[in-house]
Amino acid sequence: MMALAVDLAVTRGDRSIEADFDVAADETVAILGPNGAGKTTIVEGVAGLVPETRGELSLDGDRIDGLAPDRRPIGIAFQDGVLFPHLSALENVAFPGRARGARPRAARAHARDVLARVAPAVNPGAKPAELSGGARQRVALARALAGDPRVLILDEPLSSVDVSARAELRTLLRRTLDAFDGPRLLVTHDPIEAMTLADRIVVLEDGRITQIGTPGEIRAAPRTRYAADLVGLNLFRGTLVPIAGGAGELRTPDGPITVAWPGDVRPAPVDDVLATLAPADVALHAERPEGSPRNVVRGVVEEVAILGDRARVRLHGAPALVAEITTGSAERMGIVAGTEVWASFKAVELRLMVEPIAADTL
Amino acid sequence: MRSRLPLPVVALAALGALFVVLPVLALFVRAPWGQLGDTLSGVGASTALRLSLEVSLGATAISLLVGVPLAWVLARGAFPGRAVLRALVVLPIVLPPVVGGIALLVALGRGGIVGRWLYDVVGVQLTFTTAGAVIATTFVSMPLVVLATESGLRGLDERYERAAAAMGGSSWYVFRRVTLPMIGPQVAAGAVLTWARALGEFGATITFAGNLAGRTQTMPLAVYEARQVDPGGAILLSLILVVLSVAVLVTLGGRLLGVR
Repeated sequence: MMALAVDLAVTRGDRSIEADFDVAADETVAILGPNGAGKTTIVEGVAGLVPETRGELSLDGDRIDGLAPDRRPIGIAFQDGVLFPHLSALENVAFPGRARGARPRAARAHARDVLARVAPAVNPGAKPAELSGGARQRVALARALAGDPRVLILDEPLSSVDVSARAELRTLLRRTLDAFDGPRLLVTHDPIEAMTLADRIVVLEDGRITQIGTPGEIRAAPRTRYAADLVGLNLFRGTLVPIAGGAGELRTPDGPITVAWPGDVRPAPVDDVLATLAPADVALHAERPEGSPRNVVRGVVEEVAILGDRARVRLHGAPALVAEITTGSAERMGIVAGTEVWASFKAVELRLMVEPIAADTL
Repeated sequence: MRSRLPLPVVALAALGALFVVLPVLALFVRAPWGQLGDTLSGVGASTALRLSLEVSLGATAISLLVGVPLAWVLARGAFPGRAVLRALVVLPIVLPPVVGGIALLVALGRGGIVGRWLYDVVGVQLTFTTAGAVIATTFVSMPLVVLATESGLRGLDERYERAAAAMGGSSWYVFRRVTLPMIGPQVAAGAVLTWARALGEFGATITFAGNLAGRTQTMPLAVYEARQVDPGGAILLSLILVVLSVAVLVTLGGRLLGVR
């Protein structure tokens, strides 16, 4: 059963944002997208804070889009916390209760409990300015929970937290999201956060949803360059044309790529075909490679990112590629930014998505 | 390290300071200190001082009560004529106070367009009463708290109020517990300025409320009257106002006006 059904559109000047998705009662959905995609606008529209919002919003079958923000049973931990600077941590957390008419003493007692659970190390009497970024975010989380909402929204909960405090806070978020009895929405621009905290991901780019799926589904079949980059896959898009030897050529704006012709497609040109290539399937060479690989690209290393014992190498070439090799071979080959290398990948390693894709999702 | 100030700046600054300090200093030099006891203990001075405090504090209270909501409407409201309303609200700052007094007379005086009705129907006369002095003073000084509050509201990050609304706060609750406390310093600074302006009010008060000892004769009016019969006493009364104003501005003003 879909607990929260969102179908909203916001038009502000020449900018429009549309979102149509559901969140089940026991589910965490991440809204993932680059900065400026409109993620915060959507959750603020859900909370009733954007007057320009049109559309339908229902919770457990009841329409709530007509309700004023203070009547919607929604708890939000805002980006950067937005704690009231003149109130102590305790009064911040007691705010939702008192705002909804609880007696101050009862609201404070409840706030003390929530604070003890979510932010045990925080002095309840401290003002927000005296707290670290991590502590502030914990208080913001406590405040979102303190009103006993039916929907929990976390907007970029880790963005203002320094790296050292992140892992611990992520664990707390995971626990809090799992324990929350109702639909949860998580706004983030960080794929790791989305992948590790959410059951499903809504990918939002430039005000439009480009893909909805589980982390696994999006990793396996990203629909856009952004989603592919996000989960570390190379993504190519072009016209697929049959060539000799049972192979095909994917003609992309960045150059042709040789692929294996998909068995279930008759040999004729197909437009708008997507192909993904795992970075681990791209081999790098100091010299032009001899032998079997059908795809050989010459390029300049743009960036080398070390992830444990793997090095992710971003290559500027035609097409641009991301390769993942061991740090050992990266060192052996002397690969640093600016190095000129050859990349090769086999035609059979490319995964093709030939089914027609609506143009507006790309 | 502080940079050394250029000499021309220092010279002009000294001239500017002198311009303000010299007249005040002259009051101290020329004050007939021998009369001090008589003047202070005289009924006229203490009555005028008490009335000045009552009128200025009353005007400040009324200015806060209606000026803060007015600032809120000006800052947040969206209605036709808002710019005109704002101009009218701050008009008393630029208007000669005597003009304000005349405007009040024709509005609220015994023969005024509203004042006549007030007198005939309700039985209230404002001219030549302390209430009239408060009204005249409020008319002149309220714009200062409105301007300070409006600028505070415009500088307030709206995310706080939106967050408060999302957490169940009605608009009145949000205003009371978030908006008002967060713009508190600006409102307080406006209140101090309003009070200081009210304490020195002369023209509108004497025009609208007259110069009646014990009823409408505040300190500035008492100084004005004393000048004609007892110039030395006028200087002493002036000094009382100077000391009072400086004391308040030094203790409250600097901090509230954002100057350390």
